Amino acid sequence: MPGNSVLIIGGGPAGLYAARSVADVGTPVVLVEKREHLGGTPVTANYASFTPHLEDAETAMQRMVNDVSSDPLIEILLQTRVTAGSGGPGDFAVTLTSRSGETRELNVGSIIVATGFDHFDPGRETQMYGYYEYEDVLTLVDAEKMLKAKNFVRPSTGLPPKRICFIQCVGSRDRRLGNEYCSKVCCGVASKEAIEIKELLPDAKVFIFYIDMRMYGFWEDQLYWKAQEEHKVNYIRGIVTEVLRRGDSLVVKGEDTTMGRPMEVPMDVVILSVGMVPSAGTIEMAKVLNLPRERHGFLETVGAPLDTVTTPVPGIFVAGAAAGPKDIEDSISMAGTAAMKAVSTVRRHLKQAAIASSMGGGGE
Amino acid sequence: MSGEVSIPVTAITRGTIPQRVFQRDPANAPTEDIREKLFELEAQGEWIVQRVPDDNIEVMTKYGRTKRIPRQFTWHHKSCGQCGHIPGYSTSIFWLHRQLGMEYNDPTDQTSCTAWNYYASATSNAAAQAAVAVRNFAAAYETGYFPMIHCGTSYGHYKETREQLVHHPDLRKQVRDIMAKLGKPLIIPEEIVHYSEWIHAMRFEIAKRRVFDVSNITVTVHPACHYYKLVAEDAIYDPDLYGGQRTAVITAVVETLGAKVADYSTWFDCCGFGFRHILVQRDFTRSFATLRKIERMKEEANPDVTLTHDTGCVTTLDKSQFAARAHGRNVGIPVLSEAQFAALAMGAHPYRVCQLHWHSVDYRPLLEKMGIDWQARWAEFQQDIERLRSGEKQFLTWEDADAR
Amino acid sequence: MAQVTTKHEHVEVPYEEKERLFIQVTQDMRFHDYLKGCYECGICVAACPSARFYDFSPRKITQAVAREDIELVYKQMNEDVWNCSQCFSCDRCPRGNSPGGLITILREVAVKNGLHSAKEALEGYSRIVYKIMSTGTQVSPDMLQPDAFPDWGPEVRDVSDNLDLWRRAIPPETHHTTESAWVVDEKTLTELYLIWHMTGVLDMIKEIDEGLHMILQDVMEEALEEKGFSVS
Repeated sequence: MPGNSVLIIGGGPAGLYAARSVADVGTPVVLVEKREHLGGTPVTANYASFTPHLEDAETAMQRMVNDVSSDPLIEILLQTRVTAGSGGPGDFAVTLTSRSGETRELNVGSIIVATGFDHFDPGRETQMYGYYEYEDVLTLVDAEKMLKAKNFVRPSTGLPPKRICFIQCVGSRDRRLGNEYCSKVCCGVASKEAIEIKELLPDAKVFIFYIDMRMYGFWEDQLYWKAQEEHKVNYIRGIVTEVLRRGDSLVVKGEDTTMGRPMEVPMDVVILSVGMVPSAGTIEMAKVLNLPRERHGFLETVGAPLDTVTTPVPGIFVAGAAAGPKDIEDSISMAGTAAMKAVSTVRRHLKQAAIASSMGGGGE
Repeated sequence: MSGEVSIPVTAITRGTIPQRVFQRDPANAPTEDIREKLFELEAQGEWIVQRVPDDNIEVMTKYGRTKRIPRQFTWHHKSCGQCGHIPGYSTSIFWLHRQLGMEYNDPTDQTSCTAWNYYASATSNAAAQAAVAVRNFAAAYETGYFPMIHCGTSYGHYKETREQLVHHPDLRKQVRDIMAKLGKPLIIPEEIVHYSEWIHAMRFEIAKRRVFDVSNITVTVHPACHYYKLVAEDAIYDPDLYGGQRTAVITAVVETLGAKVADYSTWFDCCGFGFRHILVQRDFTRSFATLRKIERMKEEANPDVTLTHDTGCVTTLDKSQFAARAHGRNVGIPVLSEAQFAALAMGAHPYRVCQLHWHSVDYRPLLEKMGIDWQARWAEFQQDIERLRSGEKQFLTWEDADAR
Repeated sequence: MAQVTTKHEHVEVPYEEKERLFIQVTQDMRFHDYLKGCYECGICVAACPSARFYDFSPRKITQAVAREDIELVYKQMNEDVWNCSQCFSCDRCPRGNSPGGLITILREVAVKNGLHSAKEALEGYSRIVYKIMSTGTQVSPDMLQPDAFPDWGPEVRDVSDNLDLWRRAIPPETHHTTESAWVVDEKTLTELYLIWHMTGVLDMIKEIDEGLHMILQDVMEEALEEKGFSVS
């Protein structure tokens, strides 16, 4: 029996937008989220604001969550996972398991996987950044949390730092790690955080050590020029290899490549611009729904670049960072596209089923 | 439930900073496991893989994989620099084996790995280096004992050679033909094992036999570049030390013995050995060792001793301090291998076994702090020398080494 | 007015010769293991001890080879490669390059082709090559002479004054030597000599030190012939 609804796996920005879009055209949605809250990574990781407009993340996500709550067409299941799946487009049978162990069988017409990404664990990094040794070494996520609370301090002292640096490409663009891709957003996010830090601590010196600055489209002046010109953030071309402690400071070793000399400079806080890796949820759904993963480990799509959401499994679509590093605009765009394709799959199969039964076919 | 409640996002923010604990997952290791390749090639008839003896201890390497370290029945691949001018280093390694009752052999059918010359002068090539390596491996195989490498440079070099032999069939063929002319099969050991990995694996047994209290000794550790930077995944890591982020091979030993390990900000820096530099361009080596390692250790950690696990590092750090002192630099840290330190802690004779008279920096304050009566020991050793001089004895023996 | 020239520019080397050497580098079996692509990111320089003391940059060498800058690579092969300390800290390269390995190849090509700069860099080093090639061990105890290592401290004199006795006062039997680091079997040396011959190493040595080569040749051929090996 064909399903008349769309299953959306993952309640982050992509999943929420897709749910809203599917419901907007009158198709029922079942939105499944393994955590006990909606909002995805921006909420779990306490993002302060979105790149590049610096819109407050909590406000934005609350708006997205409100948009799907209290809608009779959208059924929200928190603390629930998809644990089995079979069937084909128009007629998928999935098993949902709640945290208490209760299961429920569901029949849907199409599926959108929006399971997002995980932040790279800096303990796996090739370079010696000391994240698990020094509390003043942070990731972008640790920094977001402090920026959200409008209280940016050196963890070891609790006092505002005077010298802060970002190290780009942590966990990305590294053959020795096997992460042979760019995580796309970290240059923008680091610049955004640099601006936010300077707004809180105008006298602090902020450095960004990079290999290349990835400033797509309007990020160029919205972030890069703004950070340099309005906030005097120092961009230094040359990446860091080691972070160690010397006395009261951290010390970072790198090369200032445009000046052509090795450098060793003290810092109070080091922020590692960690990249994206396929999330645990993505890996799990790939297994459960037999979705192939492409060579970087993310969900494979077919038809790129003119189709960003269709997986090799008919009737299953992907939206957001489950398919690879994406910024928030990419995720939202994909969600809209996936919603449209998911709805058309449902309708096409419902229509075919209706035609078949009206032609006096087999029993129902 | 059909979404009748609007879920506020702020309720979810975690209040406490989560504990930073790094978990390794060997299933997620980013590199191939070279040992699988060794066995694949063996199955294709390319060579014979010498297996690690059954009496072994498992340790963890960088990506969470297991490496097996043989406890005994080892063929000791000696180091030029150790045997040549730090004889207490190799003697201590042998002494530790003997004290623990571990069977080993000390072969004369062994050449240098020749890597010191190779890295210094490039008067060699990939084929010669590989052939020298496998000739030594074949010599070990003929005795049935498993190679145990004494020098850090040899160890790193052999790890690289292994990679090259696995990935270049032409090289394998060339080397196999050379071995055939020598009447030897092509052998590769299942693991390349460094003696410091043996000491690490055996550290609890060593600590049990400790007779001197070292809890008042502060140690700085210098890890050898060729141990952990070459073929980086094959080096010992411990999730409880350095957050699993730095090689723990020596540090674990020092802590198990009960001494204090102090950190310093140039931990990852090379000592400055340079292979060629230490012989013919010593200003570089001396400057680097003094300014980047010894002075930093002294300023930041003020250790009683610095311990390392490689020939070149002991040489560089020990021999660079004399001239530096003449220039008023802040130096004066005795330099030992961890083998010698462990042996001293176990009661080894500082001169008969640890051969400290070959070292440059004054080690006597360290011995005094450990409670070792070096004057009495030196007097004993002088008597040994007299017996050799008079012809009463030809050589100092292992029995003499432990006599009291 | 005195003209300032670098040592190597007084003899004009034709471009074809520089190119020939470059091609030799790229044809080494290990070339593609050591050079993939280059971000020019500077991690190698950041980790490099030689970069702190010399005007030396593993990044610039890797970039020059990656860009196939024949002139610059030739210059570096002559002026820079001997500053590398071969520590392989640069193996942290995120592209999977080994600048140190690339330098090893550059050095080998310099030696094989008898470049003057290679000979200069290895001046004073011949006795070490002799020792390793002929005894199968590197620095031997009898090389610890105070005039050879005056900066190592007064203990060197103690060692050389007492060498024979001190060597006999070491428990492992293999250490009772002065002219080699440990006792090496004759048969083992024969095998080593065969390896040097069969891999072309002796030919390399001929390029940089003819005198040394002659001595080694004599020593090795005599030993090999005694054991019944003929060396063509």
